[in-house]
Amino acid sequence: MAGALGFTGLLFFSSRSRPASPFPPPSALREVRHSAIEDMLALSLGARRLFADLWFIRLMQYYGTHEHIAGEEEEEEEHGHSHHGLDFGAGNYPEFMALSRHIAALDPYFKNAVLYSAGSLAFNLNRPGEAAELLNYALVNTPREWKFLIMLTAIGYSKSSEPAKVAQIIAPLVRERDCPVMLKQLAAFLNKKAGNYEAAAVIYADILQTSKDPFYTLNSEKELKMIEKRLK
Amino acid sequence: MKYLYTARSVAAETFRESVKNRFFTVFAVFAACAIYASLLAGVMAIEEEARVLSDLGFGLMELMTLAYALFHAAMAIPREMETKAIYLVFSRPVSRPAYMLGKAAGLYLLGAFMLAVMAAIHLSLLSLRGFPPCAAYFNIVACIWLKIVIIISLALFISLFSTSPVSTMVISAVIWTLGHFTPEARFLIEKAGGFSGALLKGAAWMIPDLQLYNLRDAPLSASGGWFQVFYAALWALAAYGASVLLFRKKEF
Repeated sequence: MAGALGFTGLLFFSSRSRPASPFPPPSALREVRHSAIEDMLALSLGARRLFADLWFIRLMQYYGTHEHIAGEEEEEEEHGHSHHGLDFGAGNYPEFMALSRHIAALDPYFKNAVLYSAGSLAFNLNRPGEAAELLNYALVNTPREWKFLIMLTAIGYSKSSEPAKVAQIIAPLVRERDCPVMLKQLAAFLNKKAGNYEAAAVIYADILQTSKDPFYTLNSEKELKMIEKRLK
Repeated sequence: MKYLYTARSVAAETFRESVKNRFFTVFAVFAACAIYASLLAGVMAIEEEARVLSDLGFGLMELMTLAYALFHAAMAIPREMETKAIYLVFSRPVSRPAYMLGKAAGLYLLGAFMLAVMAAIHLSLLSLRGFPPCAAYFNIVACIWLKIVIIISLALFISLFSTSPVSTMVISAVIWTLGHFTPEARFLIEKAGGFSGALLKGAAWMIPDLQLYNLRDAPLSASGGWFQVFYAALWALAAYGASVLLFRKKEF
């Protein structure tokens, strides 16, 4: 009896000292692609990070799969080019925001996923409003995350069509070792567009050195050759 | 002193028994899964390979240790009762509290050993792929072990009154699941309020908060500390006390 009372007392004491959950409440998780069972497993096994990883892979696969848009193939054949430059990564991708938000709800500390999603939404898919919404959602749990704040500022400036200014704003992000390669690619492109070829070349060279993604490395190689020609 | 000496002998025997059967198969399965995942992550999670490898490794380590340790915790005493080996044990000067302590300690040791071997495999794989382990790596592994300690203690207690090892494992798995839901349960309790809220609050106290040990989910913002050790010790002691009380009533 004394033991049980002591245990209850200590448990009461310890329950007062327990930190609050660092994650959003379960009500923040919205079902996407019949994710209910997976979400339940993520919560009940304490595997939010692992499931956020899985959803991020799915997001990349989704975004990496070419979208069939009526009339696009004919246009490509006519002009003889595929998406690059301003059109890089363009498309509708209607599930993009829902998938990104799902990742942020599972693991709001997955900074690279949030930055990758916000960057793609704002600069590739031309949906800055949704990008800002995603960043603001992530900022609720990580209010001091300077990377998100910089991204928000860059999105704000992107509306004023000043590529040099946007490139300047995201420069500190690009200097980070774990910056998503998509953002580096964007920074290089914006610098190139603003006429800062040296800065663009430095970023492309960095992508070439650090990225394992052949899509980005091949593109960087091509861009570096073009910049070299232009600078000569 | 004699009590501790007896407990040590029982613990050593429990550990030996546990590692006798299919023990190394677990490590082989872990290594195979981890290597396969690393190949897959390299292709699919290109820029996040390190994170995926790390998270998957921790997840596998935890689940495999949980499954193996839970299986042995559920079987430890019922098997000895079934084979009548327990009569031989108690025909010697072995006290019941020392026997219970030895059983629990042997299983805690089993969990620690499994985690240590799997962590070594995991670290080797990470270094082979050129990724450094995260700063909180050993804190995370230690917290996984503390979770295993709590669930083993509870499983041993449950095995004393449940009808079969399967039901022990099922009840323990339910506690494991509820334990990870504790912060969410607290959120719902706050929403409920009133009498039902107070009732639920009382019920929630009876479930260990395993999310407290879930450093692998937020290793950058959380860190292990003495509070986690104290909380695990509290649960382990309570389960041990209850088990001894129940065990004393059994006739051998």
